[in-house]
Amino acid sequence: MTQYSHPLALIAEITHRCPLHCVYCSNPLELTSRQEELATADWLHVFREAAALGVLHLHLTGGEPLARPDLADMIAGARQSRLYTNLITSGIGLSRERLAQLVESGLDHIQLSFQDSSEDHANWIAGARAHAHKLELAGCIREHRIAFTTNLVVHRQNIDHLEEMIAALEALHPDRMEIAHAQYYGWALQNRSVLLPTRAQLDRAVTVVAAAEERLRGKVRIDMVVPDYHARFPKACMGGWGRQLLLIDPAGRALPCHAAGVIPGMRFDSVREHTLDWIWQNSEAFQKFRGEEWMPEPCRSCDRRKEDFGGCRCQAFLLTGDASATDPVCELAPLHHRIEDAVREDATPGSAPEPREAPFHVLQQEMAGFWSYRTDPK
Amino acid sequence: MAELLETSIPKFAAGCRWGGTIESPVVLFPEGAIRVEGTGRIILELCDGHFSLAEIVQKLEKQFMLAPKGKIRADVLTFLEQLHAKRIIDF
Repeated sequence: MTQYSHPLALIAEITHRCPLHCVYCSNPLELTSRQEELATADWLHVFREAAALGVLHLHLTGGEPLARPDLADMIAGARQSRLYTNLITSGIGLSRERLAQLVESGLDHIQLSFQDSSEDHANWIAGARAHAHKLELAGCIREHRIAFTTNLVVHRQNIDHLEEMIAALEALHPDRMEIAHAQYYGWALQNRSVLLPTRAQLDRAVTVVAAAEERLRGKVRIDMVVPDYHARFPKACMGGWGRQLLLIDPAGRALPCHAAGVIPGMRFDSVREHTLDWIWQNSEAFQKFRGEEWMPEPCRSCDRRKEDFGGCRCQAFLLTGDASATDPVCELAPLHHRIEDAVREDATPGSAPEPREAPFHVLQQEMAGFWSYRTDPK
Repeated sequence: MAELLETSIPKFAAGCRWGGTIESPVVLFPEGAIRVEGTGRIILELCDGHFSLAEIVQKLEKQFMLAPKGKIRADVLTFLEQLHAKRIIDF
């Protein structure tokens, strides 16, 4: 039997509950309920198995991981298993005292999300009054010796404020800024017609980020994720299917990526029934698009297959109805016109109210009907 | 970018630390890890907050007596500056 090289990172979606309702959320539309969530002991077991398998990084995410009262115990367990622990959070539910407790438990890195530069705008995108608390929390984070990343998801409603946003985030003294263009899965796909930026907006954003990188070199590391709809070639999604990463959802199902649940007919094995090692080596879902056997032309004979592994399987399914198709982002893909059509139809000013400064509740009323906020699981 | 001086004390930045195993150590940092071997490992082991750049170079020059004059200093500088740009080493 083929042995696959071990995964490097484990993404643990410990809950789907979240006090924010961000319109670009990458969670699936069908969210896992609280009753189905794994218990603390199950997660600690998974972390031990992950470390034994060679995983180095643990990303605790959700939903909002702080919704779990046992978060400090999970961090302590992860640290005991020698994992590098990253908390991906909105900060809602984190007080100065709880933060100190998480750091004491062994947290290595915190990644705090921001939605926009002005408070009204940020709260409107998040569908919650969260921005002021995030700013206050950033000061508390800097009192500890942990790595601090600010994460900003960029789309048509905030992309023209990018310069102000970078300046505002710089004032919080992060070690790292993640400037991630929305990726169109889950809620973001549902809201694509108001989120997809135009090509001109993207070009300006790239220039702004390049200037910030130059100015902040040695002070803040900037990592940018570009929106693949405007790219010529697809992204190497998750570093290739079942090659480097695995994700465990709140109920314990192991997925090769965040969105894999959308692909019909996939069976996701659970850590409640199998060891992580067994899942990595044998689970049908992880085997499905490993290697090159599954690839159609033009991928199969293309030199780029070693770099992008055929792109994203979920995107292929979502836009072509066939998870084995070449990612339509690729300009060589037979169905590339699906992406061109989406850009033409959605990345068009006028398809929705244009972003403007106004109080939170006014903006919310104006956009009702143009986008849907992420809901909370039952 | 801050300049690395003779008196600077290079050390791991916040949230960067050793991981892996004793036989095969890695440096862990946000969203990444690097496997360090040989001289890189020796340099990073000296970045524990106790030694200045001058002292690190001196220790390495003692250990690698046959290296051409100035080469060790240049190599250490390049290595640490690269890691500083990645926000793994501070000084």
